[in-house]
Amino acid sequence: MTSKFSNIFLASVLALATLLSGCDSAPAAGTNLETAKQKADQCVEPTDKMRSNHMSMLDHQRDATMIEGIRTKQHSLNECINCHVAPTKDDGTPLRYGDDQHFCTTCHAAVGQKIDCFQCHADRPAGDENYQHKVGSADAHHFTQGVVNAAMPTAAEVQMVAQPQQGAAQ
Amino acid sequence: MNQNRVDEYRRNFMTALGGVAAVAAVAPSFVLQTAHAAGEVAAKPADQAVTDAKRWGMLIDVTKLTDGGAAMVAACKKEHGWGDEIHSDATQKAHWARVVKVTDKLTQNSFSLPVMCQHCENPPCVDVCPTGASMKRADGIVQVNKHTCIGCRYCMMACPYKARSFVHEHLIDQKAHSPRGIGTVESCNMCVHRVDNGQLPACVEAAPDAVTFGDLNDPNSTLSQTLKAIGGKQIRADLGLNTGVRYHGI
Repeated sequence: MTSKFSNIFLASVLALATLLSGCDSAPAAGTNLETAKQKADQCVEPTDKMRSNHMSMLDHQRDATMIEGIRTKQHSLNECINCHVAPTKDDGTPLRYGDDQHFCTTCHAAVGQKIDCFQCHADRPAGDENYQHKVGSADAHHFTQGVVNAAMPTAAEVQMVAQPQQGAAQ
Repeated sequence: MNQNRVDEYRRNFMTALGGVAAVAAVAPSFVLQTAHAAGEVAAKPADQAVTDAKRWGMLIDVTKLTDGGAAMVAACKKEHGWGDEIHSDATQKAHWARVVKVTDKLTQNSFSLPVMCQHCENPPCVDVCPTGASMKRADGIVQVNKHTCIGCRYCMMACPYKARSFVHEHLIDQKAHSPRGIGTVESCNMCVHRVDNGQLPACVEAAPDAVTFGDLNDPNSTLSQTLKAIGGKQIRADLGLNTGVRYHGI
């Protein structure tokens, strides 16, 4: 009997310890990875393709942009950053690419792969209104240039349509 | 959305448009100038490559630059974020554009002018580059492809205008539209990111009365017409580089 009780006691202690350690290891680093996972189905390419091919897409895009001036947003590094990286850390300080909260660093640190992009390129959004834009907004990368020109109605315009103004000419 | 609502939306929109037209009538010169500037640098579709149909250039009227071009240099600095390197000394710091003071030794006549990459048709920096990083785009903009630049600085030696500089230290917080980094050479790129979007270069916006930006290949562009009317000199025209940046009053 004693051994049975002690077994139950031990098991419950272990369970509690596991629970506690689970709480401890809920890291701030997971924040942006969660953001990225939430956006996986909204990404410009399927997740498996992004995992294996994102660098070749970026390389292709950079040559097209530098040499030919092609500035589509589909595979642009700026757009990756705008969508996946927050301008600041949870405590409000600027989020840099060496930090474990940075979207690119979380994965690259795990696979031991150095990132050179951010020696030159901005490693976080400029904090403008384009940051983590909604899918379907006029400036989203999912649209090609032709669609971008057809701007979505603004909130004010939508409201104007939805609520007839008083005194409007009939 | 039913038809009535669409009509109402259109009506309100037209009313708002009437307000805009009234404002345009009040300040016609301003609106015309803005529209004109936008028309000169039409936005290129983002998915199309630049062609040699256009050749971008500018004419700087030094007689109209009251500050010798300091505002232009400041605008460039702000746009691209150069010049604040903390570990570099004065000779090492980046200078995409600088104000040069010229004095005639005989008459003591003196004036200042902004000097940056002159965007040559036959650029010596492109000739000497061992990796092809120093390049001229089809539309005449000369720039450094920093992805292939190895930092050898041959182009800095070759440039007769001392237009290029080298980044000596690690940088952080670069502008998203203007990547800069240690170990690469950099110079004025005629604000290529703005030109591709149909905007004027930052320095041209900073001195709209003194600088004309446009297409050198188009004889009817404002730039070509102004060049025809008042002329424009190249710095070191004797080198036969056919620069894209011209000056009046030097």
